[in-house]
Amino acid sequence: MHLIETRDLTYIYPGNVRGLDRVHFIAPRNARIAVIGSNGAGKSTLFKHFNGIFQPTSGSVLVRGEPITRENIREVRRFVGVVFQNPDDQIFSPTVEQDVAFGPTNLGLDEEIVQHRVDEALRVVGIEHLRDRVPHHLSGGEKKRVAIAGVIAMEPQVLVLDEPTAGLDPQGVHDLVGFINSLSRTYGMTVIFSTHDVSLVPEVADLIYVMDRGRIVAEGDCQEIFSRPDLLFSARLDVPVLPKLISSLREQGVDITMAYTFTEAERNFLAAYRRSA
Amino acid sequence: MIEDLFSIEKETYRKSVIHQLDARVKIVICFAVIVAMVATPYSPLVFPVAGTFAAFLLVLWVLARLSPVVYAKRIVMILPFGLFIILVQVFVQNPYYTAFTPIADLPLGLHIYRESVEFATILLLKFLISVSFIILLSSTTKVQDLLEGAGRLGLPAEFTLTLGMMIRYIFVFGYMYRKINESLATRNFGPFDSHLSYRYRLRTLAYTIGTLFIRSYEQGERTYTAMLCRGYGRESHLYIRKKPVPRRDCAFLAFGLAVAVSTPVLFWLSSIGLL
Repeated sequence: MHLIETRDLTYIYPGNVRGLDRVHFIAPRNARIAVIGSNGAGKSTLFKHFNGIFQPTSGSVLVRGEPITRENIREVRRFVGVVFQNPDDQIFSPTVEQDVAFGPTNLGLDEEIVQHRVDEALRVVGIEHLRDRVPHHLSGGEKKRVAIAGVIAMEPQVLVLDEPTAGLDPQGVHDLVGFINSLSRTYGMTVIFSTHDVSLVPEVADLIYVMDRGRIVAEGDCQEIFSRPDLLFSARLDVPVLPKLISSLREQGVDITMAYTFTEAERNFLAAYRRSA
Repeated sequence: MIEDLFSIEKETYRKSVIHQLDARVKIVICFAVIVAMVATPYSPLVFPVAGTFAAFLLVLWVLARLSPVVYAKRIVMILPFGLFIILVQVFVQNPYYTAFTPIADLPLGLHIYRESVEFATILLLKFLISVSFIILLSSTTKVQDLLEGAGRLGLPAEFTLTLGMMIRYIFVFGYMYRKINESLATRNFGPFDSHLSYRYRLRTLAYTIGTLFIRSYEQGERTYTAMLCRGYGRESHLYIRKKPVPRRDCAFLAFGLAVAVSTPVLFWLSSIGLL
């Protein structure tokens, strides 16, 4: 049984605009899943189906094997936490602490447990010092962390991040990469995130879905996806810079093994250098 | 007006004995003074009561280490709302007096009565004292602390959650307004720039306001979706941590309440000859 599964999911926006077209998507347990696609490819629309914000025009969405109904919607939203692209959409309480406490409070937990959840969520994202601050005094990166903490406090099994790197500085992106990896490694969570920053993907994803004009046009691991530049170009994407460089060197006769992450590339470059020396 | 929002907020982040008081203490004292002032009968008794409360306000304002300019600016902004109603009073008779003595006759059969002037002065004093204490409260208490304080004093959850969101988004829109202004200025547009035609300026401002409305509507939609994602429902409420009132603040509360209650009572007893 998959944590999230969509079958033939089609969604048509008012005005007959097709947002999603027969999407098959599977989120297994303890996976890091990247959904890549250009602007308007349907990534956010797909995510809004995972916790019942949007209802499919046709097809189905199954969470832990069960369709989303009025009866289980609150449980589904506890199970699948969605972090929106713009933190200002999501942070609506006057202080950081109150905002992080919003989800646990809605779960009907008593004050002591809410307090514990808030403490823990703030600690996990490293913003204990921001507890009493007001959101409009925070930087973009800090707000993003508050938004994530607000969802983490509900202790979801699946964390969905819509364009998590949007508006972050390089250090913020680096921290986020570490954070996503730790959620999967330490807490066994499934993390699904969307991005059009393809260079980030090999560092944080085991499984990649490529979306184009509301459809999933490819799925697989880094090697399966990034070895198909034509597919990526047709989806208005690109191959990450490291595999692109290595491909180019290989075409020019350099004996180097393909790599996708920085660590792999460093190792393979050194090996190639030693072989040639 | 929007910039005032940020300057008021800046004042609340200062450090002083009054700023550090628990928000509940300040709310209770402020409302006690307002209730005492409003409850004082419409008679010359109001003058010494208002004078004492004004002195109390002055002491608190000095302790809060706030500039008198802050007070002046804010009272000037609020005064027009009350002044109009108060000014009208000098021309009309009111139920608090039985006989009226005209002191000036105006065209169109209008008269200014001595009793009406007295009534208007009393009304003005009540208005000034009430508004001044609200200014003190809002200048020395962070808006989120005010909300938490009100919640701890028993403001219903429906209000705290809604007010909490309102506070949050007032600032979001404040920043949005700033950005729009900056983007207009970047492209050399000024609402008071006489080089540009009046019609053009009016149209641009109308578009800007319209855009802000549409953006606020869209923001509302997105926020509501985010709330649903985090389990928003009928039982939702703002999380307010329990916090005991420090002993020092309790002492200040007792003192403040004593001033608020005893001032009109003592002057009343004095007026009937019991003191």
